[in-house]
Amino acid sequence: MLPLTSADKGVEHTIVKTGGDEKTRKHLETLGFVQGAKVSVVNDLDGNLIINVKDSRIALDKKLAMKIFV
Amino acid sequence: MSIKIALAGNPNSGKTTLFNALTGSNQFVGNWPGVTVEKKEGRYKGDKEIEIIDLPGIYSLSPYTLEEVVARNYLIDEKPDAILNIIDGTNIERNLYLTTQLIELSIPVVLAVNMMDILEKNGDRIFVDKLSEALGVPVVEISALKSNGIEKAIGIAAEEARKNMAIVPKHSFSGPVEHAIAHIEELLLHDMEERYQRWYAIKLFERDDKIQRKLGVPQDKLDHIENDIKSCEKELDDDAESIITAERYDYIGKIIGTVVKKHKTSDTLSDKIDRIVTNRILALPIFVAVMFVVYYFSVTTVGTWATDWANDQLLGDDGWNFLGIDGLFIPGIHAAVGEFLESIGCAEWLTGLINDGIVAGVGAVLGFVPQIFVLFIFLAFLEGCGYMARVAFIMDRIFRRFGLSGKSFIPMLIGSGCGVPGVMATRTIESERDRRMTIMTTTFVPCGAKLPIIALIAGAFFGEAGWVATSSYFIGVAAIICSGIILKKTNMFAGDPSPFVMELPSYHMPTIGYILRSMWERGWSFIKKAGTIILLSTVVLWFLMSFGNIDGQFRMLAPEEIDSSILAGFGSIFAFIFKPLGFGTWQLSVAAITGLIAKENVVATLGMTYGIAELADADAGSDYWAILASSIPAIAGYSYLVFNLLCAPCFAAMGAIRREMNNTKWFLFAIGYQCALAWAVSLCIYQLGGLFTGVVGFNLGTLLAIAFVVGFVYLLARKGKAEAREVVMA
Repeated sequence: MLPLTSADKGVEHTIVKTGGDEKTRKHLETLGFVQGAKVSVVNDLDGNLIINVKDSRIALDKKLAMKIFV
Repeated sequence: MSIKIALAGNPNSGKTTLFNALTGSNQFVGNWPGVTVEKKEGRYKGDKEIEIIDLPGIYSLSPYTLEEVVARNYLIDEKPDAILNIIDGTNIERNLYLTTQLIELSIPVVLAVNMMDILEKNGDRIFVDKLSEALGVPVVEISALKSNGIEKAIGIAAEEARKNMAIVPKHSFSGPVEHAIAHIEELLLHDMEERYQRWYAIKLFERDDKIQRKLGVPQDKLDHIENDIKSCEKELDDDAESIITAERYDYIGKIIGTVVKKHKTSDTLSDKIDRIVTNRILALPIFVAVMFVVYYFSVTTVGTWATDWANDQLLGDDGWNFLGIDGLFIPGIHAAVGEFLESIGCAEWLTGLINDGIVAGVGAVLGFVPQIFVLFIFLAFLEGCGYMARVAFIMDRIFRRFGLSGKSFIPMLIGSGCGVPGVMATRTIESERDRRMTIMTTTFVPCGAKLPIIALIAGAFFGEAGWVATSSYFIGVAAIICSGIILKKTNMFAGDPSPFVMELPSYHMPTIGYILRSMWERGWSFIKKAGTIILLSTVVLWFLMSFGNIDGQFRMLAPEEIDSSILAGFGSIFAFIFKPLGFGTWQLSVAAITGLIAKENVVATLGMTYGIAELADADAGSDYWAILASSIPAIAGYSYLVFNLLCAPCFAAMGAIRREMNNTKWFLFAIGYQCALAWAVSLCIYQLGGLFTGVVGFNLGTLLAIAFVVGFVYLLARKGKAEAREVVMA
């Protein structure tokens, strides 16, 4: 289990756990960051990430990306 | 019988395009009651009986953002006759998440799968018949962009609305969840019409406090169902809301397997562009280059060309040839009106009012419209093609250090055109705290109307040096950054900016219609301003300037008597406030005050007040700039510029701040902060700069300036509060 910020670019990963405060976590789940969802890192800008989740591209800041584990 | 159809869908699903295609110009834009979320309504072009309500773009019916709350309240309270749910076919899984929730509302739902053309181009397929069967609602393929299939979609929605049959969701949750839901329905909702029970039961299961309050569920019953929810959570080892979300996605995953045929997606073109555009090294240079092109074109080339033409030829004295043909000379409005008034023998004072007051004043603003419109075309393009969302992403990293999120950057960018749409663009910021701070600081960016002030000061005092304009933007940005740092350390704004989560739509070419519509919506406020508030203020200004008390007699004044005018008296009252800042003449004071009505007024007022003196004094030459420049030292001229850049914006923008803050005390706080900052910074520039250049001696103002600098450094450097204390400004 490692945070998204350390995940390899362009490789498909499976979400194990989503952290952050409750409100943000719910929002992430709504966007498709649910347990078992397949995600991949499209681009990494000093830890801020663009994630491919369910065919949409979601941008996350580093602090938040560190709380999502794959 | 009139039918109400609500358009619902994710952001970036093409909902706005569909709404525009369906309603054309039959639209009414307003706000949802009590909140600053845009409400759009319209009537279907093909059948005026069909009313269409464009709900805000939302991802779910959980109350995460204000938009979601508004949309959901509308759906459950107003109960439209049908919901037309537009989904992006290229991103169907995430889009169907909202659909599963909409279906539970038991209002007829019709699914419009958008972007089928793009899907087919990629070689993918969605079997709409199977999708319709799986979900139990009609499904129509459309392309909102090409207006394909939209009549069919709205037709079916109207048909379903007339039938008004309760739809029964085909999906169900796992055993333990269903058990708990059934129990909630039985215990709390049996008085409710049966078709609506399920949705409420699910929300109560999710412990949605807004719904608990809405239904007025007594505490003992809440405790009772809490036991059910807890045991369910224990059994499934997750919290209630997450269980529901995960099961919805599970269900969608199963449907997708049978109805969508899809190639394994490798990198899309969008991804490839993003690797360059949001590249660690290239992101900022690309952004700077893009912005340079935007401003270069709108301010110096295309915009100036259009603005000069509008000012001198269309509205001014020079006149122009229609379509460039020599024979078709059309005189400039100012010259034409002057001649016309002379020919009908109009009284001299009325000619003055009409031509030098109204035409010159309003013309000064209207002449500015082309420049603003060119800028808005560029900004609309950047938004429409998807780059703006990337800008927010790129800037987030930098803004976060000053306590703002990347989302605050977009309002500031738009604010460089006009502060009104800039302040309104803060609506996309979810966190109330971040949003308030962005509203307060957005107008520090020099807007289009402040450019003439910059040009005037640069021209009159600094030989049109380019650094004046550059430093103006720099000061605007510095004011934002420093305000961010200082405000973040107060009780009101303490705490980290909210996490950055933002969908990046795939890049695409926006339509001409979209760009023109966006340009018009934003630019219109500018024109409206010229016709209303500026028109009025020029009349008032002209009156105050042309009349006065001389030798105990109130009468109209000759040009050389302007120092006795009402306006001069009025300006002298305020002049003492500005004296320590170096520009304590009545003309400059009045101009700064009229700048609060509209920033364009500053230049117009200076032109009128100094310009008249120029008429009286033949030696002054043909340019009032010289008189202006000789009235105060250059450093005071710069201090004047900074004051006008940072102080409260124009009436229109203040109105926008008032509306968006939705609270008078916050509004006054914002305006007060801006004015105080402007005064303090200008004081420091004049007193310290003046001392340095030798135009000001050491005085009380110097001490005050030093005190401000020390205080400022302290505010920047002190340790802030870790968490915000909720500050109530009721």
